[in-house]
Amino acid sequence: MPPALALEHLRKTFRVPERAHGLAGSLRALFARRTREVIAVDDLSFAIAPGERVAFVGPNGAGKSTTLKILSGILQPSAGHVRVLGLDPGRERTRLAYRIGVVFGQRSQLWSHLPAADTFDLLARIYELEPAEYRRRRDELVASFEIERVIEQPVRQLSLGERMRCELVSSLLHRPEILFLDEPTIGLDVVAKATIRDLLLERGRVDGCTILLTSHDTGDMEGVCERVLVIHHGRLLLDRSLDRLRKGFIAKKRVSVVTEEAELRIDLPGVRRLPGASHRTELEVDLDVIGVERVVAAIVAGARVLDLSVEDPPMEEIVSAIYAGAARAELRA
Amino acid sequence: MTAERFARSSRKYAALALASARRALAERSVLAGRAIFLGVILFIFARVWETVLAQGALQVAGAGKPELIWYLAVTEWCLLSVPHVYLAIEADVRSGDIACRLVRPVSYVGAQLAEALGETGLRLLVLGPIGAAIAYALAGGWPDDPRGLWLALPLGVLSSTLAVFSTAAIGLSAFWIVDTSPIYWIWQKLAFVLGGLLLPLELFPDWLRALARFSPFPAMLWGPGRMAFGFAPGAALTTLVELLAWGTVVAVGLAWLSRFARARLTVGGG
Repeated sequence: MPPALALEHLRKTFRVPERAHGLAGSLRALFARRTREVIAVDDLSFAIAPGERVAFVGPNGAGKSTTLKILSGILQPSAGHVRVLGLDPGRERTRLAYRIGVVFGQRSQLWSHLPAADTFDLLARIYELEPAEYRRRRDELVASFEIERVIEQPVRQLSLGERMRCELVSSLLHRPEILFLDEPTIGLDVVAKATIRDLLLERGRVDGCTILLTSHDTGDMEGVCERVLVIHHGRLLLDRSLDRLRKGFIAKKRVSVVTEEAELRIDLPGVRRLPGASHRTELEVDLDVIGVERVVAAIVAGARVLDLSVEDPPMEEIVSAIYAGAARAELRA
Repeated sequence: MTAERFARSSRKYAALALASARRALAERSVLAGRAIFLGVILFIFARVWETVLAQGALQVAGAGKPELIWYLAVTEWCLLSVPHVYLAIEADVRSGDIACRLVRPVSYVGAQLAEALGETGLRLLVLGPIGAAIAYALAGGWPDDPRGLWLALPLGVLSSTLAVFSTAAIGLSAFWIVDTSPIYWIWQKLAFVLGGLLLPLELFPDWLRALARFSPFPAMLWGPGRMAFGFAPGAALTTLVELLAWGTVVAVGLAWLSRFARARLTVGGG
């Protein structure tokens, strides 16, 4: 089966003006403008299979959004090859637009002065949807995203969470085969983030569409995706399944214990006590030093355990470890 | 492009134009502001023409006060009906929101034009009767031969369309200069002077009138405006041809600018 999208040795550079210092510099710049080249994406290659849900993560300026803009046909690559659903996005932007959905978390695609319902109708015209099929699809999505109460209000009067649900519905109306999401949960509260993730996961499963999601929030990749691409300075740093990423980069575990005793006494090498509470103890176990089963055995032997859980550290720490590893490698080079 | 493809494409842009017209209708304060401005301008110039003509200081192609007020009503109607599409394009370029517009299966410039033309159509419909009522009240009736006003209607629609195309081209210059207001300012002042917005070109010195004929502005404003001076199908036809010719030139320029603008697109992000 051909990939949903593939890019080979993708490179994107921008020319940005160099600001001259002082009045004299500004005057000189009027006649001799100096620019410098910025490499946003550098020799980036990867492919995504149809139906895959992939997180594209990296720090600010890593090249995530630029890559997404190239994949959706907004920007032209400086070098390399890109195919999305068998099309060249730069040359066949309009044809591709019928088959992809794009959501930019920090920008709105909706007409702010119109109610979302009117925007959906307008998009149905723009995407040339058959009226009966459009109405079926709209009703299904409106119910699924639970926006029945808000679609008659002008978009500018909606909360960020409500607006983002409407944005997602508008991007799904034409049944896109690929959904590009750029920071879809940015600025949302915890509950709204969780809701959006659940909805994306559901739509990915129900519609079978491929999802490529950029985010700074590792909760998005854990909640929605099954594969992670980590990008740094425009280059691909890591391409792993979420499970393998966890296993490969987890050197520590968290053990939470609730005991009848107010305080758990434990003193083992490789075990660090984290801030807890009375009857509740949080431990960090260094797996290079001690196995988690030995720690659990010691806890059970020394106290009356009411509850016990062993967890991986938060995804933020894992990704930070990847960046830190990359930075160390760069320093060594 | 096949006929079916063209029809499908036209329906998209028509839908955008209609949505924009609905928004313009909802923005009553904007419409009211333009109507008030139209009333104030007509009132001031009605007094000016009254004084000037009473002193016998000026002869304008045999036109009296009613014709001059109706002339101004037509030219202002054409220009006040044009929304600031250049600002919308500039805002999209500055903010990077153009990225959102480019993911839809429509031409960015085509969509901007459709939306601007939808708003223009609505304003023409609203400001037309308002301007006519004010002009009628201030002029004390219709011009000497009111049949010319019927000819001014299609010319006014084409005139506003040409202005929308021209200001959209100014908006696209944001890809190079970011702030388009200086260019718009120059365009607007040229339209005022060379188009004869307030004063008919008959009052201009010969050299300025000759110079103006090399620009689209006389066809855009003086051409429809002078229909208030009398029923002149020949002059109307000339203006119609000029408007279509300039419209073609500006449309070609817009398409050319659009291609280069696309190449310059460096939407922020990374």
